[in-house]
Amino acid sequence: MKSHISIQDVNAFYGDHQALRNITVEIPQKQVTAIIGPSGCGKSTLLKCLNRLIDLTDGASVSGKIIVDGINVLNGSIDVTDVRRKMGLLPQKPNPLPMSIYDNIAYGPKLHGKPGKKEMDEIVEKYLKISGLWEEVKDRLKSPANKLSIGQQQRLCLARGLAVEPDIILCDEPTSALDPVSSQHIEQQLLKLKTNYTIVIVTHNIHQAMRLADYVIHLYLGELVEHGHANEVFENPKEERTRAYINGTFSIDLKIDSEANLKGKMCPFNFVYAKQALHNLEDGKILKIIVDDPTAVTEVPRGMEADGHKVLIVKEINKTDWEIVIQK
Amino acid sequence: MDKLIEERIFKILMVVSLGIVVGSLFMVIAVIIWNGAPSLSISMITQTPKGGYYLGKEGGILNAIMGSLYLAFGSVILAFIISLPAALSLQKDYIGKTRLAYYIRLSLDVLWGTPSIVYGAFGFIVMLYFGMRASLLGGIIVLTILQLPIMIRSMEEVIKLVPYELKEASYTLGATRFETTFGVVMRQALPGIFTAVILAFGRGIGDAASVLFTAGYTDSLPRSLLDPVASLPLAVFFQLGTPFPEVQRRAYASALILLLIVLTLSIVSRYLSRKFTKNIIR
Repeated sequence: MKSHISIQDVNAFYGDHQALRNITVEIPQKQVTAIIGPSGCGKSTLLKCLNRLIDLTDGASVSGKIIVDGINVLNGSIDVTDVRRKMGLLPQKPNPLPMSIYDNIAYGPKLHGKPGKKEMDEIVEKYLKISGLWEEVKDRLKSPANKLSIGQQQRLCLARGLAVEPDIILCDEPTSALDPVSSQHIEQQLLKLKTNYTIVIVTHNIHQAMRLADYVIHLYLGELVEHGHANEVFENPKEERTRAYINGTFSIDLKIDSEANLKGKMCPFNFVYAKQALHNLEDGKILKIIVDDPTAVTEVPRGMEADGHKVLIVKEINKTDWEIVIQK
Repeated sequence: MDKLIEERIFKILMVVSLGIVVGSLFMVIAVIIWNGAPSLSISMITQTPKGGYYLGKEGGILNAIMGSLYLAFGSVILAFIISLPAALSLQKDYIGKTRLAYYIRLSLDVLWGTPSIVYGAFGFIVMLYFGMRASLLGGIIVLTILQLPIMIRSMEEVIKLVPYELKEASYTLGATRFETTFGVVMRQALPGIFTAVILAFGRGIGDAASVLFTAGYTDSLPRSLLDPVASLPLAVFFQLGTPFPEVQRRAYASALILLLIVLTLSIVSRYLSRKFTKNIIR
């Protein structure tokens, strides 16, 4: 396995909140690397560090090194536009630019050189074909990109990203806004593209990670829990927390011995309540708690682990509520 | 039952308010047309005032029409050149989040609410200091200052509405801040920028107090930037101030012309902005 991106001791902060803790990992070349983990675990932050998009977030700061092709991306004195150009980004929600389909693709190449009309036509055609959109739009290249369906827009974004000739494709939950058919379409394109590109995909869809990934990085509360080849991590995770996360997503039937609904409670009270509930249980028994305070989602498991309990599942049930399963 | 009453009371309130808005708008236009249309003639918009025009004799108000157009277009162009960079710099990609930006916004809001006679008086004093007389140039400069707060603040607001994802898309393709601003942000904000310009134009062409001392009034067309010029609002004012009913009716005709100019411009700009904005991301 040849490494393409080398992440060394990266810490990221949003103000006082530490989003990434001492992340050190290698991302292999021309393979699909999936970053998995529950929401708020730092997946997107890590991705944003790679292309320095984190610079645009207020109050964010990053330390450590990320070496790509011998250059430290996090070095403040390098030209950040070169870094970003090397890495195409496929966003969570397709974000076509306010221009025609043709101009969306041409926008990037125009920034980095001045191809002639004929050359540009070729570029546009080439990348629309690669992203599998050409046949659908070849007769209406001049029509606005906003008239495309969401799925088509996402493939347009893929083509647009590829048109600046990156080596790396970063995907931030690229199918979460798409319907199943469009999602499949994107996944197929990504599988085709990995022969020529290093692909890093952030996803909280374990099934998607299993379908696509050659290599897996599991983040949890900003820490690197486990990384390794996909089949090893999925079939035989070394870490209990990885197992818990994968199991949680599969909702394996755990025998819940006690349950506590701590919705509406603020930190640190829900932590105290959870501790009391655990106190009444015997060792090895399992407690499930429901919380809706975002702080609790990160802090309760952390505290529980510090107390020597085992956190089995942290799972988002709906927009506000989280389920945390703890074994005493 | 209670809810139903609430609903009904509010509905009545809405209908009454809309009625007042539409009614007063309609009445303003109706009064102007009613009183002005009969006096409107070709000579009114093709001739300058001849001797005795203000006593009800021959002539027109071409001087005021042209003067107002010169003043309004001149000042709008000047204000646009200043406002666009100013509005962009107030975005959070630039100085938007600093204390300085806060105070700039505050003073712009205060200036927006300042009566235009204050601008006129200010312009007059400055011009006296430099030994200038009332002139087209003076009028343009004062109108520009009058328009700046409107233009900057409204542009700033529409540019702020450009979704962050669009900028992000541009940045990830390796665009600089400048390329992103002009390649993407401006395109997306274009209809709003149009509106801001029209708003400022409307205020510029309709304002009487600020040009009273600074642009002056004359019966002839200006031959240079340093000549005094007439303007439509002042034409309305002076004609209405005469004791002759015939001249007073011409004041309404002048107001009608003013109304038509603003209306035409609004329609044209709407058409243009629709044409330019089919690509906008909604």
